[in-house]
Amino acid sequence: MRHRWMTLAGVLIAVALLAGCTRKPAGTTKAEKIVIGWAQWAPADYLQELSKEYTEETGTKVVVEQIPWPQFQDKIFAAFAAADDTYDIVVGDSQWLGRCSDPDSQHYLELTDWMNENLDVDAFSEAALINLGEYPKDSGRYWAVPAETDAVGFAYRRDWFEDPEEMAAFEARYGYALAPPRTWQELRDIAEFFTRPDEKRYGAALYFGKQYDTVTMGAQEVMWSFGGSYGDPETYRVEGILNDEAGVKALEFYIGLRKFAPQGAESFGIGKECVDAFNQGLVAMAEDYFAFFPGLVDPEKNPHATQTGFFPSPAAIGPDGEERHYISIGGQGFSIPRYSKQQEAAKEFIKWFCQEPVQVKWAGLGGFTANRNVLASEEFLKATPYNEAFAACFPHLRDFWAVPEYGELLTVTQTEWNAAVNGQKTAKAAMDAVAKQHTEIFEKAGYYK
Amino acid sequence: MTTAVARRRRALSDYQVKMLFLMPTLLLLVGMNVFPLIWSLYLSFHRYAADMPGRAPEAVGTANYTALLHDPNLWRYFQITAEFVVLAVGAQFLIGFGVALLLNREFKGKGLVTTLILLPMMLSPAVVGLFWKLIMDPNWGLLNFLIRPVTGAAPAWLTDARTALPSLVMIDTWMWSPFMMLICLAGLNAVPKYLYEAADVDRASGWFKFRHITLPLIGPLLLLALIFRTMDAFKLFDMVWVATAGGPGDVTEMVSVTLYRQAFQNWNTGEACALAYILLVVIIALSNLYIRWLNRVRGEA
Amino acid sequence: MNGRIKSGLALAAIGLVLVIYLLPIYWIVATSLKEYSDILARPPKFVFAPTLRNYVSLLLVPGEGLHATPFAARLLNSVIIASLSTIFAVAMGTMTAYAFSRFRTRGQGDWQFFILSTRMLPPVVVVIPIFLMYRALGLFDTHAGLIVLYTAFNVSFAVWLLKGFMDEIPKEYEEAALVDGYSRLQAFVRVVLPQAVAGIAATSVFCLITAWNEFAFALVLTQNTAQTAPPYIPSVVGSGATEWGRIAAGTVLFLLPVAVFTFVMRKHLLRGATFGALKR
Repeated sequence: MRHRWMTLAGVLIAVALLAGCTRKPAGTTKAEKIVIGWAQWAPADYLQELSKEYTEETGTKVVVEQIPWPQFQDKIFAAFAAADDTYDIVVGDSQWLGRCSDPDSQHYLELTDWMNENLDVDAFSEAALINLGEYPKDSGRYWAVPAETDAVGFAYRRDWFEDPEEMAAFEARYGYALAPPRTWQELRDIAEFFTRPDEKRYGAALYFGKQYDTVTMGAQEVMWSFGGSYGDPETYRVEGILNDEAGVKALEFYIGLRKFAPQGAESFGIGKECVDAFNQGLVAMAEDYFAFFPGLVDPEKNPHATQTGFFPSPAAIGPDGEERHYISIGGQGFSIPRYSKQQEAAKEFIKWFCQEPVQVKWAGLGGFTANRNVLASEEFLKATPYNEAFAACFPHLRDFWAVPEYGELLTVTQTEWNAAVNGQKTAKAAMDAVAKQHTEIFEKAGYYK
Repeated sequence: MTTAVARRRRALSDYQVKMLFLMPTLLLLVGMNVFPLIWSLYLSFHRYAADMPGRAPEAVGTANYTALLHDPNLWRYFQITAEFVVLAVGAQFLIGFGVALLLNREFKGKGLVTTLILLPMMLSPAVVGLFWKLIMDPNWGLLNFLIRPVTGAAPAWLTDARTALPSLVMIDTWMWSPFMMLICLAGLNAVPKYLYEAADVDRASGWFKFRHITLPLIGPLLLLALIFRTMDAFKLFDMVWVATAGGPGDVTEMVSVTLYRQAFQNWNTGEACALAYILLVVIIALSNLYIRWLNRVRGEA
Repeated sequence: MNGRIKSGLALAAIGLVLVIYLLPIYWIVATSLKEYSDILARPPKFVFAPTLRNYVSLLLVPGEGLHATPFAARLLNSVIIASLSTIFAVAMGTMTAYAFSRFRTRGQGDWQFFILSTRMLPPVVVVIPIFLMYRALGLFDTHAGLIVLYTAFNVSFAVWLLKGFMDEIPKEYEEAALVDGYSRLQAFVRVVLPQAVAGIAATSVFCLITAWNEFAFALVLTQNTAQTAPPYIPSVVGSGATEWGRIAAGTVLFLLPVAVFTFVMRKHLLRGATFGALKR
């Protein structure tokens, strides 16, 4: 009897030990594998493809873990907060630089010295290096190596735009020729023109959704191009700057575009619904980051692939009559988490990646290289139907706050601007609410001392 | 006989068995529930960001609580949660009761039907939220296809600010009305037939029978079910997170959703803990009210 | 005559009710078997040519043969974590329920209430400190971490259900055994447990389903190694357009064990489904 108890106890203990043993083993000294954490999208596929060459050359396996955009930030920061060693390289968003380089978190290793010694820093496009790698701005300190540059652009139905009947009707109604819009005001006219719900046609699928940073990336371009701004970059004062006339008018304009978008547009998120709507032939124009455009030139996904054209986010004429042109920057850089157990191996991979021949291959696969030589090459510009439009964005790129508190600031703009799109608040009320909450956040974090 | 006695002397005494049987469970529960609750309370009085471990928690007294209680957004989120709970539990109760009345008869395949109806509530709420997203898609979802010919309307359900919360109520009702149905059915079954027969002799009306026989006897059971559903609906996170994540705007931002957001997106750990405690207090208060009501009803019956 | 019509109507109503509850489930199964173009068809297709493509792409990596995909790994994690935590929870629960049932303990009512109240606790209240605790103990993203958590989560429910079952087992049998010279433990194992098998089975099924379906803790406390299926399925989206077919396939694979269990154990489920309120 006693024996049976002992065996039972023994079995239970063994099982418990077994469960405990599935704890993660400590990192091995030899780098057999490095894990790169990125969002789930085509560029991550290209990176996986490209890294096969690295594996052939060095024997080190490279696994690109792809996390869907809506969960990307949450998962990576949870891993950081838990000091988890899953990722050896994180291809983080530019807004993360502040929080991850902060001395209180040190999620990212500082790469300044290593980059200056091992990489050709001048080969990077300046916009990419500053926005994707440097923090604080103008400090010369780097925490990420630019890997993929990106910007917000538009796809449009060339067959609708070039249809002679449509062109005639448009010119008759608006007084100028139908063509890819140069300003947001022109975009509005075109969107209005093509909105015919009974034909199941709408003008534009735009960034309206609450997920991650969708509506913020969409509306901020308009805000900047109207002459608005998030606040004073030196004093961090927001009140009276964010919600000034230009800002409010810009938001009013943006949410006014909602009526030219398909049903459910207030939940359209980055990389998904806008592209879906375009592929289903619902809209004349669709807004999205260029990194998502490969799906639009694939005839299997987009029945009108051959009829799809592209243009960069337009400029705008502000309430003061001036024309300004700002485009939301995207893109990520390679950063090395402090918790990785294979930091040297990670550095080796990044070094390999930045070599110009590899960058050419990267661009050839579809990655948006940060190497200025490759960016300017004929080869790159002709590689896809949208690369030219993409290259045209570079002089106008601008970014959201990159401070450590960016997450909270982002949640505020996401909630308030999405509420404005939904008609729950007027543009003025939403802008005032953002200004108030941003001020509170900066105050709590001690920026006004 | 001597071997048995000897066996017993070597064996564990009742007291030892009791300790062996009780202690591991109690220790586990204390470790995984009580200890975290205390730690959570501690953090709620501090400013802390869990992803910035370099910054030690900064004692701020009741600042987190005051900030939360003065936040008009939070009050709205509580209101949204309460609206959801009332609508969902109400709908589940009415539908569950109605279906129970329907099923409270003998027919072929009754057992099978009861089992099949049991299925929705066994599923993972997160996964249920996900596939209802497909069904409720305004453009190619099943739901709009079915109702458009009937009502002419094709709402955007989960993505329209006006219908988002009712859509969640619908999904939750689909999942949990079988639960209410089961309870009501069992309760209805438990009412002795002779009571109805006696009432029939007195030519009592259907409504009279219902009000004076059925209701008092199944009352306590119904109340118990209501308590459980209310508590669960209040805590709901999984389904809402997957189906709407609090959107569109923040019309479905229930308290549990905003808590997760504060804790694991904004990393306002201290404030999140304070909010967790506020939520806990509300739930305890609610359950106390309910239990008092339950005892009163039990006392009457 | 009147009764006949009434019955007929009632049966029709029952049929309608059944359709309403089961149609969504049928639809998900159907979606998982559809080609991509069929899924987005307007109007929705009820008749279509089924394909197993979605399931295959979910479980097997193309070109590398029978390689475990991330989804298959998550499913396996779910199996391991749910089973082990259920075994522990039910084992501990049975013992504790027996102790509460047979032994008078000081403050027993209070302990029972304490155990019940942990069931009422919203997970969000404890998830933050548990996250910090696991970080300190190195249990983040480990199987052991989730197993311990789920065990703690389920044991209170198990105790509560099983105490009801234990109370129904007459004490006379053990007492007879004790008189016959068996020790308390032996009496427990030889006399009480066999009679409690039905209750233990029912409780196990519930604990299994609860652990299997759990989402919030898994979302917060796991990353890749120990992640279970529920937090992963919504992310099986695919780059490019939303791949509903794969999501549906993942959903069906995940729901299948639960459906099977529900069916097999249906007679025993009533009590647990109603939290011990019904004892039929």
